[in-house]
Amino acid sequence: MESRTESPVPIDPVIEAYKKDVDRTLIRQNLRLTPEERLLKLDRLRLFAEELRRAGGRLPR
Amino acid sequence: MIPADALLRALCNGHVDFVLVGGVAATIHGSSRLTQDLDIVYARTPENMARLVESLRPHHPYLRGAPPGLPFQWDVATIQRGLNFTVTTDIGDITLLGEIIGGGGFENLLPDTIQVDLFGLKCRSLSLQRLIEVKRAAGRPRDLDSIAELEAILDGRSKR
Repeated sequence: MESRTESPVPIDPVIEAYKKDVDRTLIRQNLRLTPEERLLKLDRLRLFAEELRRAGGRLPR
Repeated sequence: MIPADALLRALCNGHVDFVLVGGVAATIHGSSRLTQDLDIVYARTPENMARLVESLRPHHPYLRGAPPGLPFQWDVATIQRGLNFTVTTDIGDITLLGEIIGGGGFENLLPDTIQVDLFGLKCRSLSLQRLIEVKRAAGRPRDLDSIAELEAILDGRSKR
């Protein structure tokens, strides 16, 4: 899929620390989708986030 | 609803040379993170800048977050004078990048792109490895989670 031969990305200990918290179940789910389906899912998430913001804005302060 | 394909369709139908970068490119590679706008690196040739201007003109581009009524002209001269633009349009927000840190411009990035079929359109996205490299080069703390996720995706590929 990639257009050039990949050389390993150098290890960065800070990023390695962050990697421990990556939810790989979400990645696996996404990788079962086509790139187009991934973008459509992103769009649905955006709409959901917008609705949450709207709902938050209607809360009494 | 803003369909994901509207901006891509405008750019592709306008024959704009561009590469998808940022959060949308990350999504294409399998990222689960939410991104709000479309980031592209566009070719800085006069012809391509003219195509970019014409493809977005019907969608009323304006500087994102700027107060209304500024004397902002959406034309080739404006694009030529600047480099990177954060723009809002009727069909979504888009960040137009002439260059990115650690990656350079469109011509520099082109060898490290993949072609993806999206909504019947052929688009170019930055490769996963290059995306990681440019995010690392940007050195922004807010990218650390994103880089970690992208590297986890890359690790998964090398294990397959």
